[in-house]
Amino acid sequence: MQPLDSAAAAPTGAGEPLIGVEDLRVRYGERWALDGVSFAVDAGEVVGLLGPNGAGKTTTLSVLATLRAPTSGTATVAGCAVDRQPAATRRAVGLVPQGVALYPTLTARENLRFFARVLGLRRNAADAAIAAALELAGLVDRSEDIVATFSGGMQRRLNLACALLHTPKALLLDEPTVGVDPQSRERIFAAVHAQAAGGAAVLYSTHYMEEAERLCDRVVLIDHGRTVAAGTPAALVRQGAASLRLAVVTRRALAVGWLDGVAGARVLDGDERADALASRGDVAHVAIHDLTVAARVLERAAASGGEVMEFHLHQPSLQDVFIELTGRALRD
Amino acid sequence: MGMTSLLAILAKDLRLLWRDTAGLIFLTLAPIMVITGAGFSLANLYGADPTGQTAYEFPFVDEDGGALGRQLRERLEHESAVNLRVLASRSEAEQRVRDKQAGTALVIPRGTEAALHGGGTAELLLYTDPVKYLERLNVRIRLLELRDQLATEARETAAGAARGELARAQADAQRAEQSIAQARREADAAYVQAREAQAAAIAQVRAALDRTRAQVEEQVRRAADAATAQAAQAVQEQVRDLRAALSAYIETVQTRRADFERWLSELQRLAGSHAGDIPPPPVFPEMPAALAQLAGDGAFPIRVPTPAPFHLALPPVQLDLPPIPAPPAIEVPALTLPALPAVRGGLSIAETNLTGGPLHINTFDQNVPGFSVTFLLLGMLLGVSLGLLDERDWGTLDRLRALPIAAANVLVGKLLARFLVGVLQMSVLLAVGWLAFGVSLGPQPWALLLPTIGIVFAGCAFGLVVAAVAPTREAVLPVGSIVIVTMAAVGGCWWPIDLEPRWMRTVALAFPTTWAMDAFNDLMIRRRTVEAALRPTAVMLAYGLLYLTVGVAAFRRRLRQQAT
Repeated sequence: MQPLDSAAAAPTGAGEPLIGVEDLRVRYGERWALDGVSFAVDAGEVVGLLGPNGAGKTTTLSVLATLRAPTSGTATVAGCAVDRQPAATRRAVGLVPQGVALYPTLTARENLRFFARVLGLRRNAADAAIAAALELAGLVDRSEDIVATFSGGMQRRLNLACALLHTPKALLLDEPTVGVDPQSRERIFAAVHAQAAGGAAVLYSTHYMEEAERLCDRVVLIDHGRTVAAGTPAALVRQGAASLRLAVVTRRALAVGWLDGVAGARVLDGDERADALASRGDVAHVAIHDLTVAARVLERAAASGGEVMEFHLHQPSLQDVFIELTGRALRD
Repeated sequence: MGMTSLLAILAKDLRLLWRDTAGLIFLTLAPIMVITGAGFSLANLYGADPTGQTAYEFPFVDEDGGALGRQLRERLEHESAVNLRVLASRSEAEQRVRDKQAGTALVIPRGTEAALHGGGTAELLLYTDPVKYLERLNVRIRLLELRDQLATEARETAAGAARGELARAQADAQRAEQSIAQARREADAAYVQAREAQAAAIAQVRAALDRTRAQVEEQVRRAADAATAQAAQAVQEQVRDLRAALSAYIETVQTRRADFERWLSELQRLAGSHAGDIPPPPVFPEMPAALAQLAGDGAFPIRVPTPAPFHLALPPVQLDLPPIPAPPAIEVPALTLPALPAVRGGLSIAETNLTGGPLHINTFDQNVPGFSVTFLLLGMLLGVSLGLLDERDWGTLDRLRALPIAAANVLVGKLLARFLVGVLQMSVLLAVGWLAFGVSLGPQPWALLLPTIGIVFAGCAFGLVVAAVAPTREAVLPVGSIVIVTMAAVGGCWWPIDLEPRWMRTVALAFPTTWAMDAFNDLMIRRRTVEAALRPTAVMLAYGLLYLTVGVAAFRRRLRQQAT
């Protein structure tokens, strides 16, 4: 699959996108952290920035949040060029950093009040925003507790809430669910949806393809600072060469060529999940065209004397698309 | 909004510090504990601590029982550097030193007072343990001071008495001289007066004599005349009387003669016959004719010659009075009293304290400002640098940078928070020093704000430099420690800078701590006024500006490096 052009990365709505990145490049010394990233996010849209660690996701968000200056290319937020109009850009941006960016010895309310004051919210507006933020984060009952006593999920929720105090037009989230319990993750997802529903352009950085598939209207796959693919998750999967895969675990190794003659099936070389299944027996990974081929594969394995103990069917995902495009997994 | 965000950051940092229990303890209790410990530990470097807790035990034996012993004991009992322990015998005193209970012990041998009283020399015995060098030094200094005081007092008393006696003698001599001179003058005057009086007297006498002579002559003449007349009269009267008497007598005689004759006749008659036997009666002599003349009324036959006119010729009076001898010349030799013999006295040193402060400072005068500055630096350097690192490590620095606030506000807010805390910290520590340890805040306590502001500003700014130089917490601690230890130690925070060699003191001028201690010492120990703090404060502010400039540039560079 060829990397999609910028059209696939373009928003589907009419009008200027709230977040626009065109051929963005950022160089750190001799290394190009971003080497021509382009995408756009429209109001009300959730776009996932998907890529492994070091792909350039945080750098992209840092540029949009005016924390780093681009070496070349353009980046705009709400019509403001990030490098020439940083102050206006920051007013429009709500950044949820990758790490929890809170004051651990202050309470949740104190953290929110501080950021509200720094954002210039007046008392009544600040109080309302703080109340809404606590409600959104599900921390109303813990508002007077020191943040250091919070669980990781609670801190992440508060981390998100701090970015929403001023109702930003563009919400930038950098892997907001790392180490978060499922309940907190659901709250975060709900908050993200709520912001998008409110008209914000949400750029959601993650290396969890499940999140991207569930949360994002579109995803931009990024690796080594380049856009490798962009589009809706379903479209990407469809367009990808990844196919259904069947992992067959047998008691005895299957002979070479054991699948010869089975149409719509081929043996695959190696898999990142090989180690996980290898302890159970000999594993053979087979790409199949459809589920009906799976039965024939299992029959052939049994017939070949492998003594099938278990099998696993894997639907293609963005992970597969990524691996196919980059040769490595999202979590490498 | 800029001020709002600045104040928000300031308030947030103050709240973070307030929640940092360890930090608060480090800012307040830790320096107080160190000041207390160092103060009492090092008290004897300065002689004594004001509470007397570090006073040395000082055994004292008075074998003499004289005035000197009493004086020494009385003064040592009021000496804060020692706890006097009066013992009965010198062997006890020796034992206490040998047992290391005391580093020194004093014995006043028998006969000391008598020797001194007699003008001789005396020697007190001071038992020492040289290992306890500082104690020995301090006690010796105190004893020497006391000795000098007593010797000076005794000398002054003796000199005063001698001067008094000499003055009295001089006054007496002067009075004697004056009396003698007066006597001489009076004698001279009396002589003159006598001579004058004599002359006058002579004249008077002469005149009187002349008058008297004249009067006498007159009177004698008159008297003579009168006497002559009187005599004549008297003679006449006497003659008359005599004549009368004589006449009467004669008459009587004649009568009697007649009678006699009659008698005789009678007798004869009576004798009748025997008449013949009657011897013949005496014959009455016949009255001489002269007598008859004398008795007669005729001219008195006695001629009383008429005295010649009396002429009294008194010889002129020759008053040859012996001259009044001139008074003997009274030569009063000048009374030159012998000068007091020059007694070579002891040499004392008149120490003149040119400052407004006391002669003896206490250990806390040095330690309170010194360790306060030290812990201030620790708080500022580590607080600013670690505070910035915390913001980075917490991720809040990037979040703040992504907010619509000026980047400078982040730094300014944090520095301002630390600055306020630093000023408050210094104020609290100085106040504790004043209340608990009796250090002076000088004649203008408010003036202490100047060096406080200076060193706090410099410390905050240098904290920014350290934050920029040391990228991690693990780097900040050694870098900060080295900087603080060097600045504090060399800058005179831990010991008087005068203990250091000259070159080190010159190097120390590069540290704001040196200037801070100079200002605090001037205000608190030398009791100078605010003018003494102006220059050091200006220097510290200049250092602070330099550090701030370097720190901001370095910090920005580090942020850019982190961004890349």
